[in-house]
Amino acid sequence: MLKISKLNAYYDTIPALKGISIDVPKGKIVSIIGANGAGKSTLLKVISGLVQSKNGQIVYQGNNIANLSPDKIVRYGIAQVPEGRQIFIHLSVKDNIHLGAFLYYKRRNKNDINNRIKHVYEMFPILEKRSQQIAGTLSGGEQQMLAIARALMCKPELLLLDEPSMGIAPIIVQEILAVIKQLNKSGTTILLVEQNAKAALEIANHSYVLENGEIALEGLAQELINNPKVKKAYLGG
Amino acid sequence: MDGASTSQILQYLITGITIGSIYAMVAIGFNIIYNVTDIINFAQGEFVMLGGMSMVLFHVILGIPIIIAFLFTIILVTLVGLIVDRFAIRPIRQPSVLTLIIATIAVSILLKGIAMFAWGKDPLDLPAFSGRTPIQLFGAVIQPQYLWVIGLLVVTVLILTFFFEKTIIGKAMRACADNPDAASLVGINVKKMIMLSFSLSAGIGAIAGIVITPISLMEYDRGAMLAIKGFSAVILGGLGSFPGAIVGGLLIGIIESLGAGLISSGYKDAFALIVLLGVLFFKPSGLLGNIEISKIKRF
Ligand SMILES: Nc1ncnc2c1ncn2[C@@H]1O[C@H](COP(=O)(O)OP(=O)(O)OP(=O)(O)O)[C@@H](O)[C@H]1O
Ligand SMILES: [Mg+2]
Repeated sequence: MLKISKLNAYYDTIPALKGISIDVPKGKIVSIIGANGAGKSTLLKVISGLVQSKNGQIVYQGNNIANLSPDKIVRYGIAQVPEGRQIFIHLSVKDNIHLGAFLYYKRRNKNDINNRIKHVYEMFPILEKRSQQIAGTLSGGEQQMLAIARALMCKPELLLLDEPSMGIAPIIVQEILAVIKQLNKSGTTILLVEQNAKAALEIANHSYVLENGEIALEGLAQELINNPKVKKAYLGG
Repeated sequence: MDGASTSQILQYLITGITIGSIYAMVAIGFNIIYNVTDIINFAQGEFVMLGGMSMVLFHVILGIPIIIAFLFTIILVTLVGLIVDRFAIRPIRQPSVLTLIIATIAVSILLKGIAMFAWGKDPLDLPAFSGRTPIQLFGAVIQPQYLWVIGLLVVTVLILTFFFEKTIIGKAMRACADNPDAASLVGINVKKMIMLSFSLSAGIGAIAGIVITPISLMEYDRGAMLAIKGFSAVILGGLGSFPGAIVGGLLIGIIESLGAGLISSGYKDAFALIVLLGVLFFKPSGLLGNIEISKIKRF
């Protein structure tokens, strides 16, 4: 579904991604693990168009989407839940969710949008309770749920998640992971970036290990869990 | 100085609220662009000037009926705002806030020059919308045009509140103000929203210019002073705050009017600057620009 080949990206002249190639097959969960500064977020930002890439290709369902602007890339059905949530903190929870459907906001889609809102509220009931609250006043976990809910409003076929477990209590992490699995079951392809390597490997079909902007290892997630190198570096021995 | 009667004070207040309404509109225009782009648009005063001058052109010179001339003027100045964004702001590569602000200064000089060529240097007059027969109120005199000014501020504020609170485009603009990257990730074209913010500010500026011209005439170089007063209102109310712009504008207008009446009319234009400096010294976040409030609500 998404095929990235030999991708490079730079911040000014400093390379952040060096010849990355990854493959995200339709219907799967693919995860990317790696240390701080490895380039995980940069990779997702390049896919969603927030960061420009140099040479290399990003082919999504047959279209090269490299270096299109982010608002064009969402139209292909790729949604990103950015690192650190990045919700609209001055707007209400409800408005955040409505804006997730910005591209489809036409009168004739009204029912469809309302159904989607119902759907994300079923997924995250706490958001319905807080719907009138200003988003900046939500707890960290609630903000993360809102960020996911907002991304789901555009009915993505490919969902990019950047560290959804960051700064969140383990029990909420479990809840969010369950939602990710459920989304995947209902047909959404997932590309998940995680510091929490254990969670990322347990949930994924296929995984990549990113080190200093390069793919250091890749393989079936179950195999990587038992790989001694991975154990030592990312799973605490 | 002493011996100002109640009716005189009332007169100063009414005049102050009227001129303050204009400053509030200028301040709202500043804030709309500031919230979406972080730019202080120094051409905001020129939008007001163009509004007044174009209205004179359409209504007085070309004899177009007032309502149609009003619409034409707003459309024309809104287009100017759009062009300013398209040809002066957007083409700047790797923009920093400072380069963009300098670009708006260049635009303001350019617009002033164009206006001087087009309309000459003399102040132009526009007939008052409902005549010039004053209304008496407890010994104070109210020009019917004053009511138009205040009324149009109210209407503008109501429409904008509806726009920003209830429409998806308004919400999208607020989203850009909050977090442009996240806004682009939900499919909002941030550049278009910036263009819209310039157009909207220009349109509001035009309304201010149209409605003030029958009271204080209009000439090509009025923009700078209006911008300074409007900017003082922005700072007094709190940069980026929509309610702050209204409160700040009205207060600057009242202070100026009372100051001119009770102290000296020679210093009329100094009061806004004194307030501006005072706020910057003692409470740079402004009256409603309290960090807590601005976290909750910017528009
Ligand atoms: N906007 C930027 N400007 C300059 N350098 C940047 C920028 N963003 C990231 N970098 C650099 O690029 C490298 C990769 O950063 P990236 O955010 O992709 O890492 P990451 O793997 O997501 O790390 P983390 O796990 O801490 O989120 C880092 O060295 C970082 O300092
Ligand atoms: Mg990261």
